[in-house]
Amino acid sequence: MTILRAERIVKRFPGVTALSGVSFELRPGEIHALCGENGAGKSTLIKLLSGIHPYGSYEGTLEVGGKEARFSSVADAEGAGIAVIYQELALVPEMTAAENLFLGREPVRGGLIDWQRMRKESLRLLAGFGLDIDPNAPTSKLGVGQRQLLEILKALRKEPKILILDEPTAALSDTEVGILLAKLRELRGRGIACVYISHKLEEVFAVCDRITVLRDGAAVTTLEAAKTSSAEVIRHMVGREIKDLFPRKSCAPGETLLGVAGLCVADASGSPYLEDISFEVRAGEVLGIGGLMGAGRSELLMHLFGAWGKRMGGEVKLAGRALSPGNPRESISKGLVLVSEDRRRYGLVLDKSVGFNMSLSSLKKFLRKGLIDRHAEAVANQGFSNSLRVKAPSLEAVVGGLSGGNQQKVVIGKALMTEPKVVLLDEPTRGIDVGAKQEVYGIVNELTASGKAVILVSSELPELMGMSDRILMLHEGRVGGRFPSGASAEELLAAALGKS
Amino acid sequence: MTAHKGWRDFSMVFALAGIAGFFALSSPQFLGSRNLSMLAIELSITATLALGMLLVILPGQIDLSAGSGVGLLGGIASVLIFSHGWPAPLAMLASLVLGIVVWYAMGSVVVRERMPSFIITLGGLLVFKGLFWLVINNRTVPVTAGAGSNLYSLLTTYYLPRPLGFALALACAAGWGWLRYQDRKERLENGLEAEDGEVCFLKSFITAQLVFLFAVVANQFRGVPLPFVILGLVAACVTVLTEHTPFGRHLYAIGGNEEAAVVSGIPVERTVITAFAIMGAIVAVTGFMQTAYAGASTTTVGDLMELDAVAACVIGGTSLKGGRGTAFGVLFGALIMATLLNGMTLLAVAPEFKYIARGAVLALAVWLDVRLSR
Repeated sequence: MTILRAERIVKRFPGVTALSGVSFELRPGEIHALCGENGAGKSTLIKLLSGIHPYGSYEGTLEVGGKEARFSSVADAEGAGIAVIYQELALVPEMTAAENLFLGREPVRGGLIDWQRMRKESLRLLAGFGLDIDPNAPTSKLGVGQRQLLEILKALRKEPKILILDEPTAALSDTEVGILLAKLRELRGRGIACVYISHKLEEVFAVCDRITVLRDGAAVTTLEAAKTSSAEVIRHMVGREIKDLFPRKSCAPGETLLGVAGLCVADASGSPYLEDISFEVRAGEVLGIGGLMGAGRSELLMHLFGAWGKRMGGEVKLAGRALSPGNPRESISKGLVLVSEDRRRYGLVLDKSVGFNMSLSSLKKFLRKGLIDRHAEAVANQGFSNSLRVKAPSLEAVVGGLSGGNQQKVVIGKALMTEPKVVLLDEPTRGIDVGAKQEVYGIVNELTASGKAVILVSSELPELMGMSDRILMLHEGRVGGRFPSGASAEELLAAALGKS
Repeated sequence: MTAHKGWRDFSMVFALAGIAGFFALSSPQFLGSRNLSMLAIELSITATLALGMLLVILPGQIDLSAGSGVGLLGGIASVLIFSHGWPAPLAMLASLVLGIVVWYAMGSVVVRERMPSFIITLGGLLVFKGLFWLVINNRTVPVTAGAGSNLYSLLTTYYLPRPLGFALALACAAGWGWLRYQDRKERLENGLEAEDGEVCFLKSFITAQLVFLFAVVANQFRGVPLPFVILGLVAACVTVLTEHTPFGRHLYAIGGNEEAAVVSGIPVERTVITAFAIMGAIVAVTGFMQTAYAGASTTTVGDLMELDAVAACVIGGTSLKGGRGTAFGVLFGALIMATLLNGMTLLAVAPEFKYIARGAVLALAVWLDVRLSR
């Protein structure tokens, strides 16, 4: 008896195979957890089930309620009874709770919105769900937990047979998590099947009936929650050997180049995000920083560089001198550069040429009588392009037309042209193919061999373990553990989950 | 991508040829040296303002107050000369400085207070218009105090002596060719790609011929008009700024991707404010030329010029989202707009239809651009 069946699903993106033959089964009235590391293929699978990746863009078959499903849009999936609640909430903050609940299906009388009916029905719905929310309150005034529950209620209005929740508790307090889990159990009693995605294993074990573990785009195993343990699940999540994929060449560390002591940072709204983080990185060393989504890895790098957050305490020293917060320009001129995880957003001017982007941070070097010496610039660009092996038709080629790996090399080239002492690499191999990954690892080795310090943030544990000399795991904005390069994946994951 | 770009450039050349051909057939005076000299002056005024607009649009901003500013800054200089007896150079200098200060302030508000430039300069459009009418007291204020001429009135009545016009054309053509030659030589020395020697020579040769042709035509009337020389200087400055200085690179980077610009260590605020300050100076210079061309400061001077400037930019391939556009393209766009207006005036087209034609050409040009750059 299955309500949803996915059979040998293969989904390819340019250069990457996200799902390589996943099979998955959901029974009516069960809560089924999907577990896996970042990049294991959970999000891709959900996008397939919800119609974001339409029929025809993948191989394999989907069955809902025993019939083959060919969704060409999100509306199709909803029509088949699948509702998805994403990590980023889809409520309009300026609207009231009632307006959000009825968004897109407002009750109408004579062509006008029937406000009275909308309010009455929302009161009834909210009360029926045990939610104490004023339907006239603007959604932005509600807490994150209340908004999450409102979102679920909104999804339930479509009367789904299958509810998919993607990391629903990432922003919730313990009490709110408790309410949410209770609601899920209640829905299970009403025969609704749930796919539950979470990094938090204790929640998974508290509420789920079965657990499917994804790894490298394949479903490794499906376990009965009652008959397994979190240790076994972690072993399946990691469970692969790290071969010679990571050619790290260690060298003897030199002087301390970057020192971070007692760093506390608040986000834009002023609430604490990173707390009491201390570490140092020495010349010739790669410090790996890992952690789960939302642990604060990217935020830490962005803050060190001066492009994110408000410093509440602590100190950052670059080569012994204090580095003032919030000034990327100063960071670059003093020798600290960032290669951002989101190269299209923070790294490149996509409409411009390879050369334009490469020299963008280093134009000062080419000034002659106030004008850019374009020949010296072109020579430098050509040099970096050659040594990084950028495959582009010419320096004048538009960077947006290159492959992900070559775009990444351009961003790295831009960073290296500033002659940095410390290089912050945030997910430098995300979305690039295996060959380009190897080249990026080679660049990391060259950097440390030439006496620079590297901080490598990666969500892929094998990469972190293979390329780092030391590893720092973050857990919810704090240091979750410090490890030498030989640490096991289980130890690292436990630290990331806050279990050490 | 490059193939499309070629088509784009050609489509604008065809459009210009079509417009000019139509007017040449409809009115024999259109290609006469007198009309072409007038066209050169009108082009100079439109194009100068459009080049300033380019600097503001490149980082993704806009200046709707430019037209009102043209009237106001030209009017202030007129009033200082006519009513207060200031010497013309001093009055113009004062007005120029005021322009720089006011636009610097607008730029600062846009950047520091995160106000959209559309709103700030829309406010400027209205406020400057009101101030303008206050300053000239709703009258017509001549640009000279007496019957004689001054620096201000000379702006459109002065033509370079014929030999000087030829000498200037020669100097421009020679300088242009020399720069191209040097550039090619250095590229080859550094082992970089360079264009074919014959193509390089041919391009320089054709450019030189066009420059001379213009000097010959202008000299048949009274000589090369002074505003055209001013446009030449402004165009050279804007070209150097956008293509050969970090400031220009930064404008493109901010317009192309502001977040990446910040992370690349670009002083975004300073760059945008500087662009506005330069725009202030250009608005003042355009104000002097336009007021002098009208002969006096009257309430209608500068009307809708901001939209002509934006239109010239867009027709010339500038993206209103920022990050794309060149000085050469803007000059071309301004030439299309100026030719259209000049020809219609020559044919005594009613003002109603002038507006309709300008609007239609703008919409058509942008539609073509969107279609061809796909």
